[in-house]
Amino acid sequence: MIVSAALTKTTSYKVIIPFYAFSALSFLTAAALLFRFAGEFTGHYFQPHILAITHTMALGWGTMMILGASHQLVPVMVEGKLYSNFLAGLSFVLAAAGIPLLVYAFYTFSMQWPAQYGAILVNAAILSFLANLTGSLLGSKSKNVHAIFVYTATLWLFAATLMGLLLIYNFTLPIFSKDSLHFLSLHAHLGIAGWFLLMVMGVGSRLIPMFMISKYTHEKLLWTIYGLVNGGLLSFAFIFIYVGSSALLFIPVIAVAAAIALFAVFIYQAYSKRIRRKVDNQVRISLFSILLMAIPVGFLVIFAAMLILNRVDTSLVLAYGFSIFFGWITAIIFGMTFKTLPFIVWNKVYHQRAGLGKTPNPKDLFAAKVFNVMGTAYLLGFVLFIAGILTSSHVLLQYASFGILLAALLYNWNVFSVIFHTPPKK
Amino acid sequence: MNVVTNNDNKCTLALLALKDVLDPEIGLNVVDLGLIYRIDFNDDTHYILVIMTFTTQFCPMGQSILDDVILTMEMAFRECTVKVDVIFDPPWSMQLISEEGRKFLNR
Repeated sequence: MIVSAALTKTTSYKVIIPFYAFSALSFLTAAALLFRFAGEFTGHYFQPHILAITHTMALGWGTMMILGASHQLVPVMVEGKLYSNFLAGLSFVLAAAGIPLLVYAFYTFSMQWPAQYGAILVNAAILSFLANLTGSLLGSKSKNVHAIFVYTATLWLFAATLMGLLLIYNFTLPIFSKDSLHFLSLHAHLGIAGWFLLMVMGVGSRLIPMFMISKYTHEKLLWTIYGLVNGGLLSFAFIFIYVGSSALLFIPVIAVAAAIALFAVFIYQAYSKRIRRKVDNQVRISLFSILLMAIPVGFLVIFAAMLILNRVDTSLVLAYGFSIFFGWITAIIFGMTFKTLPFIVWNKVYHQRAGLGKTPNPKDLFAAKVFNVMGTAYLLGFVLFIAGILTSSHVLLQYASFGILLAALLYNWNVFSVIFHTPPKK
Repeated sequence: MNVVTNNDNKCTLALLALKDVLDPEIGLNVVDLGLIYRIDFNDDTHYILVIMTFTTQFCPMGQSILDDVILTMEMAFRECTVKVDVIFDPPWSMQLISEEGRKFLNR
């Protein structure tokens, strides 16, 4: 056999799988904490356990999953290879050490060394990822719109984590003129809109049409979306820092809401122009997550209107945050995990067995029934929990958190079944 | 599908064999997906040249598909040496999917 291939080597599974495993365990931890402290979601959002849950979800679940998947997807996005496997491993080790420290610090609300070291380690992990991404981009021939989304998102992530580090030090040193709680919404939105939203849009606009085999592409629309999100975020930061007027907050809200609406249009066009009619459950739940984006946007509009009237409803803030981390981000991770992880593991296990007999399909590596039950438990839990927050109902919150815990258990079952998959014995 | 060849009969046999090689993500075989561009046979030297592509140069499943194509061709033509060239010019496009492939995807 002679092979003359222009194929670019994909990232090693050894680099990626630890991120997926850590992320799955983080989701389980957050769901267990949610179940244990569900009742606290009837009070104020600035509480130790709620901060611990939020950071477990934002960093342990969402960010670790995106970092893991990015190391696999960066070659596809930049049309080149990943710059360094060492930097990828380093970013995992640093984040995996830093996130538990940070979560523990929030849980006990001690802003001393665990919080400080945790935040330093997380920032070092993000810098390591940023360096890897920069190297990958510089080494690639194509600087396409998707890659620019991913790169900008990572810059915003670094801005968010750096600000988080300063806010932690601000508890013990007078870094800012105001207390850390004042800056919470800026820190949160650098992460939510800058990191998660841009990243999901950049990667989703490339992968979702690819999975559906859709010929739809609209680069100009994607650049408009990019401008709206970044413009919205920059205007928010400017208004927050220099103007301080709640009335102007409608500007960034409208910009980001318009970006989300245009992204939904992009995905709908890709969906309607697809060649592959049958859409599998993983892509379906990813498409559903785009619809879920409407919920936090709705809360944001109400919230901005209330700010103008000088009224702050903490349950609305809680519902807004919950609908982002447990709604939109969780739903897209559910879908994308089982669209990427089985292929990574399949390549590892069956790569050398090609042509030597029938091998299972990558989608057979996880249990579809477990996935479907997980989806149902999650959806029920999510809807009931939002209702529980808005009605301050302890009973609803408790039942709903059980649904989410069940979904987390089933998710972990499927993820670790895939990770530890071995070929069936004949 | 529009595969270029210098031996129609052997090419038909090769394509029949290659219909067993699936893209694991799509579930469609490489022939109907339009990944095979050319198959040339040299009867004197018992040498086969396959020119193919992937849906993207950075296809995570590319190496597996490639290995499968090589093994399948070696099984089908045991006396021959198989050489596979993977090219990306011209790039794969959806227009290369066969009518049969479109029917499969439209199910």
